[in-house]
Amino acid sequence: MIKQTPIKELALHWGRSIFLGWLCLHTMQARAQEPSEPESRQFVVHNAGTTLVNGVYTLNASIEYQFGRAVLEALENGVPLTLQLSIQILRPRRLLWNEEFTALQQRYRLEYHALSQQYLVKNLNSGLQYNFPGRQDAINALGTIANLPILDERLLEPGQRYYGRLRASLDIEALPTPLLLMAYLSPQWHLTSEWYTWPLQS
Amino acid sequence: MALAILKRRPTGVAWVISLFVLLFGALYLMSVVTQSSEQFGRLYSLLLAISAIGLIALVALIGVNLLRLVRQYQLGIAGSRLTVRMVIMFVILSVLPVSVVFYFSIGFLHRGIDSWFDVRIEQALEDALELSRTSLDARTRELLNQTLVIADDLANASDVDAAALLNDLRGRSSIDELTLLTQKGRVIASSEVDPTNIVPNLPNEAILLQLRQHRNYTGLDPIGDNGLHVRVVVNVSNDDAAAEERVLQALSPIAMRQSTLADSVQLAFAQYKKLSYLRNPLKYSFTLTLSLVLALSLLSAVWAAFFSTRRLVAPIRDLAEGTRAVAAGDYDKRLPVTSNDELGFLVWSFNDMTQKISRARDEAKHSQQQAEDQRAYLEALLERLSSGVLTLDSHHTLRTANAAASHVLGFDLSGRIGRPIAEISLDHAHLSLFVETLRVHLAEAVHEWREEIYLAGAGGRQILFCRGTLLARGEIGQADHLIVFDDVTTLVQAQRDAAWGEVARRLAHEFKNPLTPIQLSAERLRHKYLKTMNAKDAEVLDRSTHTIVQQVEVMKEMVNAFAEYARNPQMRPRQINLNQLINEVLDLYRGGRAGTQFKVLLDPDLPTIEADPGRLRQLLHNLIKNSLEAMADQRGSRITLSTRCVGETECPFVELRVEDRGPGIPEEMLGQLFEPYVTTKPKGTGLGLAIVKKIVEEHGGSLQAENLSEGGACMVIRLPVVFVAVHASATLPPQRGVA
Repeated sequence: MIKQTPIKELALHWGRSIFLGWLCLHTMQARAQEPSEPESRQFVVHNAGTTLVNGVYTLNASIEYQFGRAVLEALENGVPLTLQLSIQILRPRRLLWNEEFTALQQRYRLEYHALSQQYLVKNLNSGLQYNFPGRQDAINALGTIANLPILDERLLEPGQRYYGRLRASLDIEALPTPLLLMAYLSPQWHLTSEWYTWPLQS
Repeated sequence: MALAILKRRPTGVAWVISLFVLLFGALYLMSVVTQSSEQFGRLYSLLLAISAIGLIALVALIGVNLLRLVRQYQLGIAGSRLTVRMVIMFVILSVLPVSVVFYFSIGFLHRGIDSWFDVRIEQALEDALELSRTSLDARTRELLNQTLVIADDLANASDVDAAALLNDLRGRSSIDELTLLTQKGRVIASSEVDPTNIVPNLPNEAILLQLRQHRNYTGLDPIGDNGLHVRVVVNVSNDDAAAEERVLQALSPIAMRQSTLADSVQLAFAQYKKLSYLRNPLKYSFTLTLSLVLALSLLSAVWAAFFSTRRLVAPIRDLAEGTRAVAAGDYDKRLPVTSNDELGFLVWSFNDMTQKISRARDEAKHSQQQAEDQRAYLEALLERLSSGVLTLDSHHTLRTANAAASHVLGFDLSGRIGRPIAEISLDHAHLSLFVETLRVHLAEAVHEWREEIYLAGAGGRQILFCRGTLLARGEIGQADHLIVFDDVTTLVQAQRDAAWGEVARRLAHEFKNPLTPIQLSAERLRHKYLKTMNAKDAEVLDRSTHTIVQQVEVMKEMVNAFAEYARNPQMRPRQINLNQLINEVLDLYRGGRAGTQFKVLLDPDLPTIEADPGRLRQLLHNLIKNSLEAMADQRGSRITLSTRCVGETECPFVELRVEDRGPGIPEEMLGQLFEPYVTTKPKGTGLGLAIVKKIVEEHGGSLQAENLSEGGACMVIRLPVVFVAVHASATLPPQRGVA
């Protein structure tokens, strides 16, 4: 139903609409910068290291995932979160930057199952799924990487030094599309840890 | 240039249209992605980037166009004002409707999205979920009871027996999977309905932690693709305090129908919850997509406005430039006809017009060229005309004069152009009669007049035959009077000479015949009657017949002289040395008459001349005789003969001067000295100098007589080195002989 609108009012509405996009972004940013929410919600790799088990290097790591309120709210509302572990083995070179010897991606999906009131953690690489009654349990479980095989020892050159490094991040691209715009613009969604580097040891 | 633009334009347009298509495609995909995230979820950011870059490119394109337009407007380039007006009109025409559509679309969009959600539906879904949980609780409780019973059975069972016992217990129950494990998670024994599944689904650390706190665990676990399972984990009591605490986990799937329904409820709830949560982001995304579409539409419209206006204005600008070019005189300007509409017709008409102007210009130029050629032709004609031609304006100022005019009047008239004609007489006194005659006739302003003017100059008498015509203004330049005059001196002289020649010939012919019979008769009378008569009569007769015979002799001489004058013998020219000839002739006179001295100043470098030696000999005789006769009464007379070479190298002349110390030539006779029967001597026939003149003219030379300042006369004869056959009378430039 279109009712007759006075031109002045129409122009006013039109003007409002033109700035709507900008207002949206502005609002989102303003919300992201609310003082009640700690700004530095980030992922932290507390420690990581490899162990040689039966000729295979296995990774053990402890990662702290700190989600902001907006992310947790999305999770509670059924939005699955995809977490990504980037593992790289580097070979140092003289006078040049380190060579990326090999790289490995581990992806996990964290979602809330409303009926069972459980948090499901699924390893997207292996397909294994774990259920947790509490959110923090699930997050803790995600943060504990134990005996993850990453590299066959035979692939390495003997005598050469290698480094491993690890980074955890939230995969924004995997979010539902309507959230993408907000996720791109809001720092709360840009969750990623620093690279954690360790020497590859036998 | 125009062709290059025409060629270049479609490429640019193709690029821009490609950009539009790309942008519209990207925006379409964006809208699809926003609606169904799973399909193109990963493309969203790429599409967003493409759209942003595309829009920036469009803005830049429009900015460039705008800047160009502003510059053109400031420079006042033709068509820029029209372009500005049309661009503004286009923009307004496109912005208004698009904006209205945008406004209402946003409104509908927001209302549409809001209408998806309802508190009652949300409540209903939550209730359904709760109902599902409740219905599953019964199954959970049942499983818990069973598990607790089995745990009691397993209490105090050793690890070794546990496996068999567990298998037995599970067989008696309706449980799918039973696992006995320590509180730390180590599996002791496991029994399953499905023998292929050898890896038991273990409780996670959180559950085990709960167990360690002596709290049993019951829960619904969605296990992979196997659907919902009820998981129950209970502590297994053990009397042996030292033994490791054990737990028993029972895992049993929900009945298929129940599980499906529960999954459905869960899915619907989760979807609704998610959608509800994503409501605002969805609105933002749609708004953004719509805003991008709006921006693209507006920018496209603006660009299209620029483009179409440019296309529309191009012929107008071309026309303006063409008009300027035509104003500047470039009639060859042709404009490209790019369309078939009215503008195209206008351009075509312009081209037609310029073509016609160009043709007219060419024709005018051609006519002008023709007139110029005609003028040049007339000028050339006038220059080569032997008649002098002058044109004077109404103020008697000299406007034009040809070369012949200067030649006839004896001085260069080109310096007098634009000066009054009367000024001529100031510098050239002998022309005063000419000027006066002109003045009289010009003052009369009759349409045509003619008159013979006799001028007496230093070079002798000159007869000009003058004709004047009154010209209508503008007929030849701005001249009012046209005056044509000829030097007819020579002509008149030649006519006179011819008349004299005819007289002489007739005289000789008519007189010569009766003279001999007269003489013979007289002699016969004397011879017959002298002896018979008395002395007195005989004396009379003797004296009379003697007189008759004597006078007849005189008359015979005269007739011979006339015959000589009238004679026109064949010329036999050959190379002769004039000096030598002079000496030969003088030899006849030397010593002949006492008291006469001959002074000879001969140029030793005198070239040989081509002449008839017999005629020249007669010429010398006549001249010397004429000088001697002039000094007949004097004693100590002296005749000077001198020769020299004169004239330019191309046309050299040999000059012979014969001077005497006689009384000179009377002033009144100077003009007719060389005419027959003009003599100052009582005995002369008057033909000597006439014959001299004739011989000179036969050789193509010139003759002049002048009185010397110290007394006496001088004959100056110039003969060309190379013989030129000349008939009748001729004068040679530059010296005009008083012929």
